[in-house]
Amino acid sequence: MSSLAKKRRIFIIVALAIPVLLLVCFVVVPAVDLIRMSFTNWDGRSADYDFIKFDNYVSMFNNKDLWRSLGNNAVYFCVHLLMIPIELAFAVLLNSKLKAAKFYKTMVFLPYIINGVAISYAFSYFFSPVNGAFDGILEAIKLGMLKQNWLSDEKIVNFVLAFVSLWRFSGYHIVLFTAALQSVNHDIIEAATLDGANAWQMFRYIQTPSIMLMVDFILFDNIRGAMQVFDIPFVMTSGGPGYASSTFTLYTIKTAFTYDNFGLASTMAVAIMAIIILIYVVQNKIIHGIILKGDK
Amino acid sequence: MAEFTPVKPQERHTIPAKARSVTAQIIKQIICIGMVILVMLPILLTVFASFKTRGDMVNTSPLLLPTNPTLENYKKVFTDKYLYIGLGNTTLILAISLIFNVILGTLTAYIIERFNFRGKKFVVALFFIGMLVPTFVTEIARFKIINGLGMYGTIGGPILIYVASDLMQLYIYRQFLANVSVSLDESALLDGCGYFQLFIRIIFPLLAPATATVVIIKAITIINDMYVPYLYMPGNNQRTLTTFLMDYANAQQGSWQTLAAGIVVIMLPTILLYIFFQKYILAGVTAGAVKE
Repeated sequence: MSSLAKKRRIFIIVALAIPVLLLVCFVVVPAVDLIRMSFTNWDGRSADYDFIKFDNYVSMFNNKDLWRSLGNNAVYFCVHLLMIPIELAFAVLLNSKLKAAKFYKTMVFLPYIINGVAISYAFSYFFSPVNGAFDGILEAIKLGMLKQNWLSDEKIVNFVLAFVSLWRFSGYHIVLFTAALQSVNHDIIEAATLDGANAWQMFRYIQTPSIMLMVDFILFDNIRGAMQVFDIPFVMTSGGPGYASSTFTLYTIKTAFTYDNFGLASTMAVAIMAIIILIYVVQNKIIHGIILKGDK
Repeated sequence: MAEFTPVKPQERHTIPAKARSVTAQIIKQIICIGMVILVMLPILLTVFASFKTRGDMVNTSPLLLPTNPTLENYKKVFTDKYLYIGLGNTTLILAISLIFNVILGTLTAYIIERFNFRGKKFVVALFFIGMLVPTFVTEIARFKIINGLGMYGTIGGPILIYVASDLMQLYIYRQFLANVSVSLDESALLDGCGYFQLFIRIIFPLLAPATATVVIIKAITIINDMYVPYLYMPGNNQRTLTTFLMDYANAQQGSWQTLAAGIVVIMLPTILLYIFFQKYILAGVTAGAVKE
């Protein structure tokens, strides 16, 4: 048997060597390296650089444009967060007795599949100030006076972009919720029906607890997504006008690849990771500690 | 505290149950049709625009079909040689990345799912961390490594990144393997079949349905990805389908009808994949999110 054990060990080592090596080189090392680089003034090209202690952190905290970008991330975060109950309700709807449910499920997930760059351009056209489709709709329903410069007005641009983001990603959450709802035990549902539970009670006391794991995932996905918004503003406004629709990631990438300040960009990247973890922990505390308190 | 208040019988019968369920169905249908309109509107209007002449764009409402449908806009896209360069690069990146993703993904998932060995916890933790690290920002540090390997400006950079960093295939394979009986492995081993043979002859073919899911989902992710090719493949001849569209858009200078045709052409491949392989896609997407 010892020769089999030896064979077994060789198999494990050979099989895992490449995937683990790739993971370490291209994911783990870069993530750790970001922290080291955040204390340097590296420009992305030269061989040498200096350690400048916390200078990057100081200049990051004093950067008004970056704070503004972070505020824009908050818009995406809040809009998507407010949408989660609606997404859940929609998933319940798709799971209920519904004619053509399969077709609707296909449609709701379609935006998530579509090329992000292509759809961003399509929405640029949709909200375009010249012959734009959205203005056309407003005119058709006699609301022409509501016409705006949807993508160049500082006050509304982020909400327009967040709407595009909702359009693209809500279907993903709805499909995930649908899957979670389907995994709810049917015996429990039947028992509750026999006990005379109405639709709301069924949702609140039977379905919600069963899908808490999925809620957790979606909340985390929302933070990760909101902090990393990139392609929609990048394609539709390149963060403009000025920094009005810039996001933290957009600003970070610009700092690295346009202004060649990889040290400062690394600091921002570390900040993004820290913020994601921080919001997740706080959000988890709130949800499990307050809202669901007394359920057990 | 579950406190179900039973509905009183007489209340339940004030409205006939059947009429009530018909009303409910109508309301549901209205909501769903509203959703379909919301989803289709930006896509359909772009398709409308792509068949319009310049004159039509000015004279007809964006909400209406073209009065003089034209194929000129599509001709322009399809005669752009960079579309074909993009198609070639995307296909090449796709093919190589998928092959590696499938081979390494099946092997890793198989070992993690079926073997116990020293350091297993560490390896699993490593892959778990790999899933949590935000991809966008790590690019700043990853850039240095790819550059150091001389992969900047080649299709090697994106391939390496797609193979190494996106780990959703592990979830899909592991979930699938968890439902496959172990007895097959054991009887093969007793027959004197080596581990590699066992994997190649039995496990790998067994995973075929999961592989279909992995291939389709990864294909969609890679075709749609803008970020990695944008950072690592800056040259004109290094366009992918997605970055081709960005160049094409800049060249159209606000001529929406020609850009619209480009948008439709670039959207089409993944939409077609979705229509034909929807079952696999939905299965895989949810597998990636449901933790064991």
